[in-house]
Order: sequence, then structure tokens, then C-alpha cells
Amino acid sequence: MLPVERIIGEEGLSATPRGARLAMRLPWYRSLPFSTVEVAGVTLDGAPVDLADAVVEFDDISFPLAKMGEQTNAFWFVRDSAFLVLPGVNLAADSEHDVSLLLHVNPPYIPGMKRVNPQTATLRVN
Amino acid sequence: MTAANGPQMGVTLYSFTNEWLTRQFELDTLLREVAKRDLGPNIEIIGFQSFKEFPDVSDDFAAYFKDLIAETGLNPVSCAINSDRFMKPGQQPIDDADLVEYHKRQLRSAKKLGFKLARGQFALPAHLLPELAPFCEDIGMQMGVEVHAPMWARHPAVLEYREMYEKLNSPALGWIPDFGGTARAIPPSLLDAARAIGTPEALIEITKEIWAEDGPSYVKAGKLREIAAAKGYEQAHLQACTLSFFILSNNDPKSWAEMVDRTIHIHGKFYGVSDEGVEEAIPYEEILPLFRDGGFTGTIVSEWEGHAYCTADAFEQVRRHQAMCRRILAEAPVAA
Repeated sequence: MLPVERIIGEEGLSATPRGARLAMRLPWYRSLPFSTVEVAGVTLDGAPVDLADAVVEFDDISFPLAKMGEQTNAFWFVRDSAFLVLPGVNLAADSEHDVSLLLHVNPPYIPGMKRVNPQTATLRVN
Repeated sequence: MTAANGPQMGVTLYSFTNEWLTRQFELDTLLREVAKRDLGPNIEIIGFQSFKEFPDVSDDFAAYFKDLIAETGLNPVSCAINSDRFMKPGQQPIDDADLVEYHKRQLRSAKKLGFKLARGQFALPAHLLPELAPFCEDIGMQMGVEVHAPMWARHPAVLEYREMYEKLNSPALGWIPDFGGTARAIPPSLLDAARAIGTPEALIEITKEIWAEDGPSYVKAGKLREIAAAKGYEQAHLQACTLSFFILSNNDPKSWAEMVDRTIHIHGKFYGVSDEGVEEAIPYEEILPLFRDGGFTGTIVSEWEGHAYCTADAFEQVRRHQAMCRRILAEAPVAA
């Protein structure tokens, strides 16, 4: 996998009081407005995760995943992970899980281009 | 050595995308590495790749960056900005006024960081240039549109820009050629990367044949997709092959001669320079003399894009590319 194809972030999977938290990397060479990225799916140990109440956290901002398409002036810095918080998904510390993530990137200067990026990894909850 | 009054060499940090994304370097350590390896002094930086605060950089960050520049002795020539017109996928592009303001934010930041010019994109419609040219003149910046594959000297979008350039005749506007639009072949290293993930040789052969045909890249890519679907090739293998239609095209290298007079900066796009000092896909021996003999005295930044499909040593590739360019630029001018 090329560096530009990686979408599961180095910080991996963690358990928080708000729910499971998954690190995501942006699969592009430059930062993009969050509005141009779609979290198209997450599975945990083979089962699809309901993303209806998921929240995206990046530095000191957070917004519901359902509203990510409106974030035209919040930029995902290409070096940093954004975090997907999954309320209601409670994971035991140190447990191991197969995680699949699917991101779509729509570069905002290339009309009609959609890049599809899947990645699966086995992660230990930290 | 490059002639004192001829084209000057440098590098874009985009060449080091793999090293950057994998966090092997921070901005300060990457600039120091470039300086230590003598790959500057001229540099280009993509604002949205290397500056977290982009498109609006703070005074504190600008001061930090200028200190780094002073320490390393590098020369910040070009800041690549983006024409992000399609902010909401599948919806209408943003308003013209918003797009102009988006450019002004980036141009102000580039100026604040000490860059001399900005790399723009064709996603900025030509009819907005009359609003940006006086702004650039006022703040003392130049803005050049990157002529990137599939664009070339006679592409309709280039001709539309040319007409507006001639009408405005502003010293702030110009071209930034990217040599990928006039390649002689798909880089063998790209095809090797496709083979490495198991792409069948038959699909690679079809790709090479279609790529060499005349016609727009998107039409040729569509033709390849249709054939691949009919023959049942895997999506990953098709994707590895179609990349070649988006980053390179096979227009006439000599056509750059028509753009030399308004060229303000050059992206020295390349994929792999051999031990013998020859780029594997782009005919530098044909292209560089056009700019050398045409009186271009700006900067050529080495832009290694092999990182789009492989993880070769970018620093070594840039070193080889600069040596190749210096060799060609030092040759005697071609007699008229």
C-alpha cells in the first residue's frame, strides 16, 4: 500500500467515554475541505457499523458525520489524522478487532473525479 | 552549473510526498534536508500540502517560516495554490465571487510567507482573471496557471486563457508548463508498478496502445475502461493502468515553444532518471533547449511524481533530475 492510499491512521482504535474512536488518514497528497470527503462505510469484526450518530473530530473542532458535506471551510491537514467517534460502540481495553474503513475523496478542482479508498486492518484497542 | 542568467534549478517539496505523508520529516527537517543535499536553493511548496494553516496563515507562522528560510538559505519562489471550485461533490460549483476570494486568501498567504509567485489551476475560469490580475499586481505577486496533462499549448482551455492573457497583458499573469503533457511514452516504472500488483501483461499492452493514440485523454481512458470491463479485468489493475491517462499525455514537445514568452516558472515533471542521466518518459533533450534558447530565466523545479505509484528514493531521483537538466542547459544553443 502506498502512503497516499493509507486511510487507517497511526493512532489506530481507542475506547473513549464517547464511544470507539478510529483514526483516519486522508488519502490524497494535499489537505482538503472535509466537505469533499465521504466516510462511505465502517465494519467492525465483519459487521457494518451504523454511522447515523457518528461524529468527526479534528484538532479542536468536531461535527456530526452527517454534516461533513457542509464543512467547506474546515480543512483536513494531510499530515494529521481525523477521528471518527462511534457512539454506542463500546470496546474493551486491549481487545483486538478487524476494522474496515471506506473513504471516498472528491478532489474539488477535478470535477467528476471520485477516488475510492478501502483499507482493512486488525487493531488493538488503546 | 546553470548559467547565471539562464534557467535556475530548484525543487518542489511535492517530490517528497511519500516522505511527508509517512511523517519521516517535519516542515523544518525537510527544508534542512533539501538544503543539506543542495537540491535548492529555489523551492516550490504546495500551500495545502505543507502549511497546516492554509489558506490563511498567521503572522506567527509566517515569522517562523521566514526564520527557517533564513536559516537554510533556501529561496521560496513558488507557492502552489488550488482552485477548489467544486466544494460539494455532485452539486453546483461555488459562486464566482467566492472563488475569487478563495484565491485572494491563498495569494495573501503566499505573499506573507515570502513567495514570489503562485501556481494556479485551470479550474479557475478565464473570465475571472480580470479580477485577480490587478489584485496580484497590487500585492506584488505573479500567478501562473499550471499547464498540466492533458493540457498543452493548443488545448482549448489554454487558448481561452491565452486570449484573456493577451487582452489583459498583465505582467502578473503567465504560464507554468508541466512537461507531463508532452511525454513520449508511459513511464516504464509506472508499468512495472502495475505488474507488481499482478496486472496482466495483455492489459498493459492494450494500455500502451491506446495511450499512444491521438485524442483527448478522457476519451482514451474511457476506451480502456470499456475494453477492461468487457474482458473482465480487475478494478485495481485497471486503476493502475488508467493513472497514465491522467498524469501524462503525448502531445508534441516542440509545442512548448509557443508558450516560452509568457512562461514565469516551470514544473520539471519527471518519473525516473536512469544511471545514464535520461528521463524515462519525457524528452528533456527536446524540451529544455526551447526554454534555454527562448530566453527563459526563471526557475525549473524538479517535480518527481513517481510517488503516485512507487516508493523509490525521492532525494536521489531529484539529484539525478537536476544533474540532467544542468547538463542539457549547459549545452550550446541550437542554431536558428
